[in-house]
Amino acid sequence: MLSELETKLLGVMMMVIMLGMGASLTFKDFAIALRKPQGVFVGLVCQYGVMPALAFGLATLLKLPPAYAVGLILMGCMPGGTTSNIFTYFSKGDLSLSILMTMGSTLVAIFMVPVTLAFYSQGIEGDWKIPPGNVIQVLFVLLVPTVIGIALRKWNANVGAVVEMIGGLLGVAVILFLMGSWVPRNFQLLLDTGFPVYAASIGLGLFGFALGYALSRLLRQTARRGRTIALETGIQNGPLAVLIVTLSFTGDQQRDVLLLPILYSFFIVLSSSVITIWFRGITTREELSRDQAKIGALAKA
Amino acid sequence: MTPSDSPYLSKPWLPHYGSTIPHTLPTPKALHLAAMAREAAQHYADQTAFTCVMPNGMYGSLSYRQVDEMSDALAHYLRGVCKLAAGDRVAVQMPNCLSYPVALLGILKAGCVAVNTNPLYTPDEMAHQFKDSGAKAIVIVDLFADKLEAILSRTDIQHVLITRVPEFFPPVVQPIVYAVMKYWNRLIPAHGLKATRFPDALAEGRKKGGNALGYTDGVTHDTLALLQYTGGTTGVAKGAMLTHGNLLWNLEQMLGMTRSHIDEGKEVVLTALPLYHIFAFTVNFLTMYRMGARNILVPSPRPIQNLQRALENYKITWLTGVNTLYNALLREEWFTGFPPKHIKAAGGGGAAMHHAVVKHWEDVTGAPLVEGYGLTESSPVACFQPLTSGRRVDTIGIPAPMTDIRLVDDDGHDVALGAPGELLIRGPQVMQGYWQRPEDTAQVLKDGWLYTGDVAVMSPDGTFKIVDRKKDMILVSGFNVYPNEIEDVLTQLDGVMEAAVIGVPDAKTGEAVRAYIVKADDSLTAEAVLAHCRAKLTAYKMPTHIEFRDELPKTPIGKILRKDLRAEVLAALQKKKG
Repeated sequence: MLSELETKLLGVMMMVIMLGMGASLTFKDFAIALRKPQGVFVGLVCQYGVMPALAFGLATLLKLPPAYAVGLILMGCMPGGTTSNIFTYFSKGDLSLSILMTMGSTLVAIFMVPVTLAFYSQGIEGDWKIPPGNVIQVLFVLLVPTVIGIALRKWNANVGAVVEMIGGLLGVAVILFLMGSWVPRNFQLLLDTGFPVYAASIGLGLFGFALGYALSRLLRQTARRGRTIALETGIQNGPLAVLIVTLSFTGDQQRDVLLLPILYSFFIVLSSSVITIWFRGITTREELSRDQAKIGALAKA
Repeated sequence: MTPSDSPYLSKPWLPHYGSTIPHTLPTPKALHLAAMAREAAQHYADQTAFTCVMPNGMYGSLSYRQVDEMSDALAHYLRGVCKLAAGDRVAVQMPNCLSYPVALLGILKAGCVAVNTNPLYTPDEMAHQFKDSGAKAIVIVDLFADKLEAILSRTDIQHVLITRVPEFFPPVVQPIVYAVMKYWNRLIPAHGLKATRFPDALAEGRKKGGNALGYTDGVTHDTLALLQYTGGTTGVAKGAMLTHGNLLWNLEQMLGMTRSHIDEGKEVVLTALPLYHIFAFTVNFLTMYRMGARNILVPSPRPIQNLQRALENYKITWLTGVNTLYNALLREEWFTGFPPKHIKAAGGGGAAMHHAVVKHWEDVTGAPLVEGYGLTESSPVACFQPLTSGRRVDTIGIPAPMTDIRLVDDDGHDVALGAPGELLIRGPQVMQGYWQRPEDTAQVLKDGWLYTGDVAVMSPDGTFKIVDRKKDMILVSGFNVYPNEIEDVLTQLDGVMEAAVIGVPDAKTGEAVRAYIVKADDSLTAEAVLAHCRAKLTAYKMPTHIEFRDELPKTPIGKILRKDLRAEVLAALQKKKG
C-alpha cells in the first residue's frame, strides 16, 4: 500500500512524465501523422483492441481472483508507456512512430480506457470495480501537462527537448521508486503469490510484443515498424495504472489490486531490455546484410 | 574561327540581366574578407548570425557581435600564442557547427590561410592534404580526433584545437547533446592528442590580446585566403588557391544575381550543405554573412529527417542544396504535406539538377529553385539562372556579371553557336592556380581562362546548358551519349528515386549505356524502365543493362559518383579476365 504522500508524489511525477511526453512532439507531427494514419491506426488497434482482450483472456485462463483480474485488465486497458520510446531508440526502431503511438493512445485514453475497462470488467463484482469517473478525472488532469509540454516544445526547442528527456528518465525512475517503496513492505505477499499472477504479469508484456508484431505485419507494416509497434504494444503505462488504483482503493484492497500493475511494471522493464537487445541485433544484421548484398552485386557486376 | 567572330565574347546573355542584375560591378570595397566580416558584424551586431540545429531541435546561437569577438580572440591566439605568421596555413575540419564561422573568420583575421577540409576524409587523405598544404595548426571536431592522431606525425601540424558539435550551445543543452553523442551514440572516439579545447584557446587569446587589425596589414585582394582541395574524387587532391579578391568578387557576383530577392538583415538561410564545400562556403556563409542573414546550420543532412526541426522551427527564406537533397526532401511527407511558407528562393548546384525535381519543388513550395554552375576553381559561382526574367529550367542559366564564358573544341577554338564544346571561364573569381602544382595549373589555366572539363552548349539567347563532364561522355558506336540526359529521362519515371548512368566497355558498340537505379517504389521492374526509355530515347541512347541498388555512391555533398560505379565494373571485368 502506498502512503498518501507517496500517492501525491506519484501524481506529481506522472505530471512531469506527461509534460515530457507532450514536449516530445509538435502539433505539426500530429497533423503529419494524420495524413497517413495507418501507423497510428495499427497502434490504436493494438493498444485498445489487442491488449485489453489479452489481459481479459489471461485473467480468465489463469482464473485470477477479482482483485488481480481488475489489476490485470486495468493494465491491459492503459495507453502506451513513455518508456517504450526509450527502448525503441535503443533498439534502432522507428522513434517517431513510437512517440506518435504513445501520444495518440494517451490522447484518446480519456475515452477509450473507461470504455474498454467497463467492457472487460463487466463480470467482476461491484466493490472491485474501478469507478470510470476516477479514470476520466486522472486522464483529464494528465492532459493538461501534456498540452503544456507540446506548447513548451513549440515555444523553445531547447526547453522542450530537456523536458522530454527528464520525463523519459523519470518514467524509469518512477518504476524503480515503486519497486523500492512497495516491494520491501510487501515481501511476504510476493512470496505467497502464486504462479498464475507471475505468469499474468510477465505474459501480458510478452504476448503483447508478439501480438503487436504479428498484427502489424499482417497489416503490411515493414519488419522494422513491426518491431517498433511490438514494443509499443507490449509496454503499457504502468505508473498511470498504479496512480488510478491508489485513487480508487484503500487499505488491503489497494494492496491487492496494485500487485499486478507493479509486477507488470517491474517485469516489463526486464523483458523490454532483453527484447531491445534482440531487436537491435536484428536491425544491425539487416543493415549488414544490405551492405553484403551490395558487395554481392559488386562481385556479380 | 577568329576571336572577333566568337559568338561568346559579345556576351549575348546580357539582355537577360534585365533591370535587376548589374552589367558591371565595382571593385569590392573591403580590402579582405576579415574587413568584410568586421563591417557586417558592426552593422548587424545584435542580430543572430548562426544557429546550429540538432536533429531533435536542440540548438545554440551566436550573434554577429559574438562571432566577431570570438574570431578576434582566435586571431590573437593564433598569432600571439601559437606565434603563427601571416600566410601560415591553418586547417579547419568539422561539420557545420557554431565553431566553423568562428574558426574560419579567426584564421582570416589572423592573416593566415584557411585549409577547408572534409571531415569524412580517411586518415591517408587527411595526411596528404595537411602535408601538401603545410598546415601548422588545425581546428578539428572531436568526432575525428582519432584519425588526426594516427597521422599527426606525418604532418607539420604543431597546434591542435579541438571543438565539438554542440560548442557554444546553452549551458544545460551542451552537456546533454555532448553526452548523447559520446555515451549514447558513441560517436566521439577516445584519443591521446595533445590538444587545446577550442573555448580555452579563445580564452587564452582574449587574455593575450593584441592589435587584431594589425594581423591583416599588407593583406590585399591578391593575398591567398583559402586552400580549397578538390579532385579528391578523381585523383590526388589539389589545393585550389582562392584569394581574398576571388572570394570577395564572387560574393558580389552572387549578390548581383540575387539581390532582388535578398532583404538585408532579414533573411534566414538553411545551410544543410557542408561549409567545407565551396558552394555553401561562398554562397551560404560569406554572402549571407555580408547580408546580415541568420544562418541555420545543420551538422548533417543525412538522414534527411535531420532537417525537419530546422525547417519547422525557423522561418527559412533561402536555402541551397544539390539535386539529391531536394529530391530527398520532396520524398518526405512532413515536407510535402506542410511545405515551409516563407521560402523566397532556393539555389541548386554541385551537380546537374533534374528537371522533374525542380518542377516538383516549385509546385510544392511555390518558390523558384534556380540552378547555378561553378567549380571550386571559380570560387565557385560562374553561372546562375536569373531569378527574375528569362529563366530557363534545364540550363545553368547565364554567366554572372563580369564573367566571360566560351565554349571550345579540343584544339581550343570557339565552337559554333549551338555546338557542344568545353566550357571556359574568365573572371575575377577564377583561382590563382593549384597550390604548389604548376603543371596541373598549366593544364587548366591558359591565358586567363579556366578550362572546366565540362561540355556545354549555348543557345542563341546566351543561355548555357551543361551536356556533361567531358570524361563521363559515353561513346556508343561513334555517337556521343551524355549520362545526364539519360538520368533525367530515368528520374522522370515515378518509381525511380535516383539514377546514375555510366559507359561500360562493349565488344560490339565500343561502349554501352548502363543504368543504376534506386527504386522509390518496390514494384518497379527493369521492363517498365526500358519501356519508358524506349518512348523517350533514340536507340543508341538506350541503356543495355539496368541494375537496381539500395543506394548510389556519393560525395559528401551528395553528388553521385559515376566514377566509383565505373571502377566497380572495370574491376569486375579485370577479375573475369584475370
